[in-house]
Amino acid sequence: MKELKHRFSSGFFIVLALALLIFGSNNTSLVNAARGQVTDFFVPILSVASRPLQAVDDFIGWTQQVAIVFSENKRLLAENAQLKQAQIMSSQLAIDNQRLKRLLNVGEGQVNIIAAARVVSDSESPFFKSVLINRGTDDGVLKGQAVINEDGIIGRIINTGSSSSRVLLATDMNSHIPIKLASSGINMILEGDNSPYPKLGFLPIGEEIAVGDLILTSGYGMVFPPDLPVGQVLEITEEGIKIKLSTKLYNLNYVSIVGYEIIRSPVSRPVSRMGDHSPKGKK
Amino acid sequence: MMQGPESKSERGFRWALPSLSILLLIILMQLPYRISFLDNLLPFLPMAAVYYWGIFKPNLVPVSAVFVLGLLQDILSGGPLGMMALLLILVRLFVIQQGRRFLEREFLFSWLVFVIVSLVFGLATWAISSIYIREAQYILDALGQSMLTIAFFPVIVWGLGLLRLMLVAEKR
Repeated sequence: MKELKHRFSSGFFIVLALALLIFGSNNTSLVNAARGQVTDFFVPILSVASRPLQAVDDFIGWTQQVAIVFSENKRLLAENAQLKQAQIMSSQLAIDNQRLKRLLNVGEGQVNIIAAARVVSDSESPFFKSVLINRGTDDGVLKGQAVINEDGIIGRIINTGSSSSRVLLATDMNSHIPIKLASSGINMILEGDNSPYPKLGFLPIGEEIAVGDLILTSGYGMVFPPDLPVGQVLEITEEGIKIKLSTKLYNLNYVSIVGYEIIRSPVSRPVSRMGDHSPKGKK
Repeated sequence: MMQGPESKSERGFRWALPSLSILLLIILMQLPYRISFLDNLLPFLPMAAVYYWGIFKPNLVPVSAVFVLGLLQDILSGGPLGMMALLLILVRLFVIQQGRRFLEREFLFSWLVFVIVSLVFGLATWAISSIYIREAQYILDALGQSMLTIAFFPVIVWGLGLLRLMLVAEKR
């Protein structure tokens, strides 16, 4: 009798798991909300549990820094001298740029840093590339927002709880990020393929690209602000062009969630001014 | 079956230890290790624990607990909802079907069977993930995870063995 009962309960849960597998993949809001609630509960636990790992990581980093402190100092002094010269040039260019943009009525994008978060969990699966962070809707984080750090792009928010969110990394199969070649400005798409090196899609025929070329975000799609560092061309083969990302996605610690919107001054918006009458009239 | 008297004597906090040990391994698997080669190769340690408890204390890790723990792993790892729940239940079911024969054998025999279970488990995660993403994935990654799980098996058996001793001590 017990055997029968056991078989029945196993069968029941197998069917339940199969049903979830088949119908849960539609990413219904109910499933996402449930996921968010569970991650909300576990994020504080993961946060505490990941502290020792971070301490070890910090210690290793510290010993590495101590070991190279003299050579690093020499290199930084040289770099500093170069940067001072570059700073003078760039300030002149910035003034020029601003003046020309005003002439052309270019809409300026506004980047809002919504929150800074800590990565508390890594899926570490070969087939699904995402991380959990300890900020959610309570902190203003919304699905679709971009996640970056000081080195460049990381990914975008795909699910939120009130105090936790899941970030789909740029290397995931489902990640498509609008990018451009820094030198020529050609727009392309960075496509994740679950390998550490995502590939480039939609390179126009006849355009040239070389190993080492710099890749930046294009700002299309209104998720990532333009001109953020993405990475460099790693290799060009018949199968495709592979990109080495500027961020180390396996070694993430603190990240920023950013919102991006184009804001135009009222003068530079003739189209919307024409359409202003009807909504105002209704009000 | 000997489940009746056992479950009565093991009431109290310690009956939850096997499930808690699996929960702990699930949490351990989700931590950010920040090591580049581990990124793709984290072993299926919760599966090893389900296998172990399936042999020694199946009544303490009921199928409902395995389901909930598998679901939790799916949610925390961001994988397909239900994948780990399904596979962990199947591992438990397989072990229980073979259970008493396992108990009589040596550790090495149990490890040998685990090699097969682990490889099939890896292949199953690869197959389900490939169907879920709708594109064939790199199979060696999943087999790498299986290999690492096989290598970790003695450590899991040792750790959970200590836990099982605590349960036995309680019983006496």
